[in-house]
Amino acid sequence: MSNLNSQSKPQSKSQSKPLYKNRNRSLAQSPFNRITVGAKWLLLCLLVIPVVAGVVGVFLPAMGYFPAIGANQFDFSVFAALFDVAGIRTMMWLSLFTGVVATVIAALFAFVLLSVFYRSRMLSRLQKVLSPFLVLPHAGAAIALVFLLSPSGFFARLFTIDSSAIASANEGVFLFDSYGISIVLALVVKEIPFIILMAISVMSQPLIQEKVNGYFKAGTGLGYSPIAIFFKLVLPIVFPQIRLPLLAVLVFAVSNVEIPLILGPNDPSTLAVAILHWFNHIDLSMRLQASSAAVVQVGIAAFAVFAMLAVEKGVTFCGKKWLQRGKRQAPDKAISVTAYLLLLAYVVLVVSAVYTLVAFSFATHWTFPHIIPADVTMIHWNTVLGAMLTPLSNTLLLGVSVSFSALLLVLLTLESEPFNGGKTRASLLLSTALFLPLLVPGVAFLYGLVWFQQLFLKDAVWFHVYVAHMVYVIPYVYLSLAVAYRKFDNRYEMVALSLGKSPMKVFFLVKIPLLIGPILVAFALGLAISFSQYLPTLLTTGGAISTVTTEAVALAAGSSARLSAAYVVIQAVMPLCGFGLAWWLSNVLFKPSTHTISTNQSNTGRSVRSV
Amino acid sequence: MALTLKELEIFKGSALLLSLDVTVEKGEILTVMGPSGSGKSTLLQAIAGHLDTPFSFSGSILIDGVDLVSKPPHLRGVGVMFQDALLFEHMTVEQNIMFAMPSGKHQTTTKKREATANLLEAVELDGMQHRAVSTLSGGQQSRISLLRTLAAEPQVVLLDEPFSKLDTVLREHIRKWTFAQLRERNIPALLVTHDEADAVSAGGQIVELLSC
Repeated sequence: MSNLNSQSKPQSKSQSKPLYKNRNRSLAQSPFNRITVGAKWLLLCLLVIPVVAGVVGVFLPAMGYFPAIGANQFDFSVFAALFDVAGIRTMMWLSLFTGVVATVIAALFAFVLLSVFYRSRMLSRLQKVLSPFLVLPHAGAAIALVFLLSPSGFFARLFTIDSSAIASANEGVFLFDSYGISIVLALVVKEIPFIILMAISVMSQPLIQEKVNGYFKAGTGLGYSPIAIFFKLVLPIVFPQIRLPLLAVLVFAVSNVEIPLILGPNDPSTLAVAILHWFNHIDLSMRLQASSAAVVQVGIAAFAVFAMLAVEKGVTFCGKKWLQRGKRQAPDKAISVTAYLLLLAYVVLVVSAVYTLVAFSFATHWTFPHIIPADVTMIHWNTVLGAMLTPLSNTLLLGVSVSFSALLLVLLTLESEPFNGGKTRASLLLSTALFLPLLVPGVAFLYGLVWFQQLFLKDAVWFHVYVAHMVYVIPYVYLSLAVAYRKFDNRYEMVALSLGKSPMKVFFLVKIPLLIGPILVAFALGLAISFSQYLPTLLTTGGAISTVTTEAVALAAGSSARLSAAYVVIQAVMPLCGFGLAWWLSNVLFKPSTHTISTNQSNTGRSVRSV
Repeated sequence: MALTLKELEIFKGSALLLSLDVTVEKGEILTVMGPSGSGKSTLLQAIAGHLDTPFSFSGSILIDGVDLVSKPPHLRGVGVMFQDALLFEHMTVEQNIMFAMPSGKHQTTTKKREATANLLEAVELDGMQHRAVSTLSGGQQSRISLLRTLAAEPQVVLLDEPFSKLDTVLREHIRKWTFAQLRERNIPALLVTHDEADAVSAGGQIVELLSC
């Protein structure tokens, strides 16, 4: 920062031909810039320190260093013991298999959907159908699938005529299958919307959009079909931009806890679920095993990432040959049919999930195979709303404070970047750091983080859970706002500065109002991400602070389907309320009202609002 | 007031993009012409204080002998206008102009409103105060944009192809009007354009930049 200060000193005139390299950047000279640069470093610290500390905190016990139980020499015996655990190889395989397969299928399906709809007005409708799944927490989605797919679930009801069939249905139990197929299904359903929305946001960047439009015209001129153009010309320029988010999806899929916990097999479970159980085991020495397993989990995630990159290389290689052959069509028919079937599947899933959950939350008796409950009652909702007060207020308090501070930090950080987005070392560091929490499995670093938190500030539970949520909320808020910031016409800022307003005034009076739509959406997204956190909440608070999501997962293991259904409904409604509010506010805030001049207006300085 | 560019050299990386040594007298409109890529807009950015990597410059930019180079953009007193009016859409016409007025100048909001009304009336746009800017026509937006620039009482005005998006008839009209407003206030201005007619109408010195 010292070099920034020296820049504001006037240059001596005796100096012959001084070269003013970048020294006249407006923001580099104002005190406001010091605030924005400070915010950037704070944001970096918030992303990097918890993850690095967490990894260290999990690596030490894995190497045999855990003073709490008197283990303080480094060796590999912990790992040796881990590989003697029954079923450990199956657990590892299950994690890797479900994660990789789900990500590959989700990416393929996402591209199929995009290739058919990227030029049409259906794209916005597609976004609408998919977004409920995007904002629904993973835990909620998994529980919803249980309601649909269990042997006595909604789909079984739909296709069963004779109630004795339940016996045979139970034999081929699809849920909790030992291959992890149901985990794959839940992951695919959750990840397709995410990949599609990432791709759409990349494709709507002005530069890329221009390129895509140009390529489309050129491709059409050469006689290529729209679908072929997508795979041969558009995807190659879009893919590099969504590679990192895709890898984040992969790491999440390989290492997430809540979906296999709710839908997966039990004995053996996926490695991540096993880690959860071992860490929470009463016997503290199990911590060593859990830590070594967490290190192995990081290894599995890394392996999956490299496997995915290798697959990408292979596909690119074959793709080039395919390009050279110059066929004007991809398998267009098959691709369109797949896309429409997928869309249909999503519509069916959304509609039946909503119906089943809502119906269950009001049902008195709902015997198999009836499609409608026998009677409705408010009793479950009364129970839930009574029990929910604390978790709900915790969730809101946490969500609002986390999302608001993340938004503030992200806005100031974006403001610290130069106009033309030049690649400074700090901005490069930032773009890497943003993906750090998404590329290191949470189940690995969160335990290490908790260990450090217990060591230093044992009782600051709210602070710990706040930090853990920030780690996950910041990247999404940043990625969502950065797109809008890049699209923002910087000339507005230049004009406002040239009118004599300070950078801080320009930021608050011009930039924020003009960007209010994307800012509110980013805030709602931050809320949704915070609402959906299961593991970070559970671990950093040790269960002391319950949220709607932790309660929902706890209930899913319990016996009351009705309460569980009510919780999922609330889980789904909360983020939707956030986005609805964002949409409404962005239409109301900062809109110049059309005034009529009242007679006394010039005297009172007030004007009357006409509707 | 006069704007002097003294031994001004602009570099892209380490390559010289353009060099200029000229004085624009008060009320004069200097025209800078040249092909795209010759650095016309970059020159304006250097004067306004918005120059960014990979560009840099040497030399002095003086208003009445005072060097601007060490000042941040918002303290330079340099007004900028672009091809688009860039009115702030979250403000009404009146709010746009009041936003631009120097904060110490008018003591009360009422006085600011009166001043705004006078500005609008002088250009036959009275009664427009409370319109949302998005409801204005292109020509109206251009005029409000200039009024906004003038309301800030700049010492120098920079015009970056401000008429290029207007159709021919409107263009002629707005051009004459803009130049008249600037001359009336004795403001030195620097106009960047592709259009010969702009240069003729400006009636000041003409600088031709060569492509590099």
